[in-house]
Amino acid sequence: MPSSQAPSIAGTALDPTAVRPEIADAEIFRIERGELRSKLTALRAEGCSMLLDIGAVDYLAREPRFDVVYHLLALPQKPAGVAEVGVPRRVRVLVGVPTQHPQLASIVDLWPNADWAEREIYDLYGIVFEGHPSLRRIQMPHDWEGHPLRKDYPLRGPAREATPRPAFALKSNVPAGAPPDGKVAAALQKQIARARGQAGPGEKGP
Amino acid sequence: MEMMPGQFMLGKLDDVARWAQASSVWPLTMGLACCAIEMMSVTNATYDIARFGSEVFRASPRQADLMIVSGRVAQKMAPIIKRLYDQMADPKWVISMGACASSGGVFDNYAIVQGVDTVVPVDVYVPGCPPTPDGLLYALNLIQQQIRQGGRGGILAKA
Repeated sequence: MPSSQAPSIAGTALDPTAVRPEIADAEIFRIERGELRSKLTALRAEGCSMLLDIGAVDYLAREPRFDVVYHLLALPQKPAGVAEVGVPRRVRVLVGVPTQHPQLASIVDLWPNADWAEREIYDLYGIVFEGHPSLRRIQMPHDWEGHPLRKDYPLRGPAREATPRPAFALKSNVPAGAPPDGKVAAALQKQIARARGQAGPGEKGP
Repeated sequence: MEMMPGQFMLGKLDDVARWAQASSVWPLTMGLACCAIEMMSVTNATYDIARFGSEVFRASPRQADLMIVSGRVAQKMAPIIKRLYDQMADPKWVISMGACASSGGVFDNYAIVQGVDTVVPVDVYVPGCPPTPDGLLYALNLIQQQIRQGGRGGILAKA
């Protein structure tokens, strides 16, 4: 969808300035690109020893267009006793990445498991992680062109997008918004009535 | 073939060879998606593909006669399937199992090959999502029938 047709995003979930709802189990930080490494280094020093995942979101009409989301976990410091449950600390760090120069610092040296996660985001969203030891495609074939999870990537691929879909693929069995057909509805009612142990309409009771 | 009063049978070499070949169509161990679950279930006691001599799923394409494409073929998987097919010794057959392998099925998208027949030649298509194990057995029977009649890939078929 070209951005010229996009409705205003002020105050919606797409708005990068919008206040996100409090989520009970996680602290959420939105930071600038430049402070990514310093923030994550600090969080790691605070005990977030585990990088659970790195996600990316394409908001297309928004600027910055992408959000890269780091999910961190700090395991409970002391072992939980019999009567209590150790509560881990969960942290989510959001970074906006603009359409032009979609680059971000790599964090493979902080958490080695960021390697494949960053490769996946590079593969599917085209966000380049600077400092990554080997930024190659991981899911698509190595000679693939484009980044398929971008919202402006054609679903059927650039080569096939222009070919028309077969007519049966566009046709639904049921017209949109149509009430259930009389026969079907009657059969359904009968079935329901039978299940309830009652005689359906037009049927004799036992 | 006819039974003689002594303990032997007479028949044409063609018929005997085809009978032997049709009774030992060994599939390649290759499961791609959920159809592979149905493919595996043909080996169990209920369906028992061993009745037709095809229970020996070979782990090496060199020893396999039949490729069962059991599931959707990703764009990344297509060259691998082609390579496996090329590694199989002639004569060889291919069953395209299920809607995805035959036409892409519900996956009308960039990632899935729209029909495995764009990659390897297919002998029998099995409709269904997934097909029942009976459907797969029937496809195997069709291939056996083809071999017995000296069809494509038969042991004495002319190239």
